[in-house]
Amino acid sequence: MKQGHIKVMMGNEACAEAALLAGCRFFAGYPITPATEILEVMSRRLPLVDGLCLQMEDEIAAVVAIVGASWGGTKSMTATSGPGFCLMQEGIGLAVAVEAPCVIVNVQRGGPASGQSTSTAQGDFYQARYGSNGDYSLIVLCPSTAQEMFDQTIKAFNLAERFRTPVIILSDEVVGHIREKVTIPDADDLTFVQRKRPKVPMGEFIPFQADADGVPPMPDFNTGYKIPVISQAKSLNGNRGNAKEADENIRRIVSKIEDHMDEFAEVLTYGDEEAETAFVTFGSVCRAARSAVDMGREKGLALRSVEVKTVWPFPDALVRRALDGVKRIVVAEMNLGMIQREIERVVRDPEIKIELFSKIAGIYPQPQEFLRFLEVKR
Amino acid sequence: MNPLGEKYLRKPFLPFLFCPGCGDGMIVQSFLQAVDELGIIDDLAMTAGIGCSAWIPVYMHADVLKVLHGRAIPAAIGLKASRPSRKVVVFTGDGDGLAIGGLHLLHAARRNIDMTVVIVNNQIYAMTGGQVAPSTGVGSKTQTTPYGNLEKPLDGCKIAVAAGATMVSRWSTIHTKQLTRTFKKALNHKGFSFIEIISQCPVQTGRYILGSGSPQFNLQWIRDNCVPVKGPTRWTEIESEGKIPVGDILQIEKPEFMEEVLRMNRKVKDEAKGAGGDR
Amino acid sequence: MKAAERIEIDRRYCKGCLLCQYVCKFEVFEPGHERSALDYRMPRVAKIENCRVCGLCETHCPDMVLTVVAKAGGKENP
Repeated sequence: MKQGHIKVMMGNEACAEAALLAGCRFFAGYPITPATEILEVMSRRLPLVDGLCLQMEDEIAAVVAIVGASWGGTKSMTATSGPGFCLMQEGIGLAVAVEAPCVIVNVQRGGPASGQSTSTAQGDFYQARYGSNGDYSLIVLCPSTAQEMFDQTIKAFNLAERFRTPVIILSDEVVGHIREKVTIPDADDLTFVQRKRPKVPMGEFIPFQADADGVPPMPDFNTGYKIPVISQAKSLNGNRGNAKEADENIRRIVSKIEDHMDEFAEVLTYGDEEAETAFVTFGSVCRAARSAVDMGREKGLALRSVEVKTVWPFPDALVRRALDGVKRIVVAEMNLGMIQREIERVVRDPEIKIELFSKIAGIYPQPQEFLRFLEVKR
Repeated sequence: MNPLGEKYLRKPFLPFLFCPGCGDGMIVQSFLQAVDELGIIDDLAMTAGIGCSAWIPVYMHADVLKVLHGRAIPAAIGLKASRPSRKVVVFTGDGDGLAIGGLHLLHAARRNIDMTVVIVNNQIYAMTGGQVAPSTGVGSKTQTTPYGNLEKPLDGCKIAVAAGATMVSRWSTIHTKQLTRTFKKALNHKGFSFIEIISQCPVQTGRYILGSGSPQFNLQWIRDNCVPVKGPTRWTEIESEGKIPVGDILQIEKPEFMEEVLRMNRKVKDEAKGAGGDR
Repeated sequence: MKAAERIEIDRRYCKGCLLCQYVCKFEVFEPGHERSALDYRMPRVAKIENCRVCGLCETHCPDMVLTVVAKAGGKENP
């Protein structure tokens, strides 16, 4: 695909094209509505750029295969929806434990279980952060438009390589399936990050000893490093760690991300930055909230919309700053109250009212419903 | 440390975590002998899951990716896809490979992906303390079948053949020379090679099922019950005697998956160029 | 006929399983009394003169701790 031009694309297609641009050359996936298009586009496009796309026997095989490919030296990605995302959780923990850069897209749909396969939802907000076992951290990005699906996929690959972590793109059916204008930048306007590879020979290389930034260099397999990579908590040389070593290993893989949030955390504000009433949204709901702000302005209402683009690690400071001066917060999400809990945690002021505007069962909140909510709930 | 060990073992990780007399250590040596004779340690990418046998490749000084229980094969596929010239070897066990990992075995064999899957069969879940496995004999009293196992065991080799593996062999830990020969054959075989190794577990299988935890007793059991056999008729005869036939079961040449995929991809790419530029 | 100079047993890693005694056809080994670094009772090379350097103890040792060193003049242990 030629760069530096505008195309009308489906969100899922934009994601796949961005991945290819970012250098993704291995995709393993399994068909699941509403993410299947990503797998299908990759199956058509990867062969044309000397990559490989495999439809695996299940989602567990898909997520573990991309970890294998990552250690092979290849940028890799998978995409799924809620039920497949559940299956991938152990594999996500694996990617964390072996510090394998990779990208996992979850195009959310109604849950629980098979839920509503063709309807949008935002019920995986916590699963994206806490779905795997044990203590860990990772990065979760939330696109609201096809453009953001594109941009955040580039960002996801860069962050995966920078932090040696799985990065989750938490999309939803609306964003995955919407068709709209996407501006694909010129290659010169984009930066692509490659993982650090060791600069010393094998004899001097300590596999899991980190640099000052908390991230160890990562050799590709079969480049002479003969590295033991295990899924257990590990010591610096890669063996199973004793209690002290495991403690250090776990804390390091958490802090390598959480201590550097300023590099990637993003919260946008739309509308009147002085407004005392604010919506807080993520994902596709940001779109309706923006329209609600515009509608409100026409009626003389001062409203602002706070859009959380990087939901995990949760950007406490940026959210607080975006909500500065607010007296009334309406959290709008397509679940029974998830990011609401984070807002309550972050805004600990009894004077500020935090309300939940919740829509489930695939019913997308209309902009006028936001305004009606404001009136009714006064 | 014997010379082969001096040359190839990951010294800081020693001693082997295996119990005294465990077959896993014997497999390390038989495999390293093959690797040494072929000179391919640098090209090896090994994966493993969870269980005693999963530690076999970790003690070798080579690139090893030890993942989740039952998922060594998908990890191997990812490594293979990333660079098809790698020599990919999977070490799994009867639980890791036939229970939780069974599905991945089926599909990798079906695709005839160029890799070697070594399944170490000690007929029990040893690492977790001796629970019944898909390969455990009927009547066995294990930690989870205290009144006797009622399930018929699965024959991994038959599954591999049925699924489409193009090289299948079964040996035991005592057959060190045959194992080394078979490893070499598998590493040179272009396609999905499957090697089942009947292995002694003195501590679990020995104590709970066979009646003795003595390594010598358990290796004797292997010698008595693993009968080298040629030909399908004799194979079935040995099985009906309640023993375990071992030998080379199958080796055929069929189109190998990665090669076919790459060939097709090149063709598609060339056609797209011919049709007028990069899409 | 080959003969052994000595049989080395790496006491750092021997686990006293005595499979060397089991596979040996020439009664070279006996259970010993010395303990390895892992606190297992090691085998003892009781009859080195019986050793034909067949190598079975070396290739079958589950911990790779045995090295059979042939007498000069015969083939070195492979």
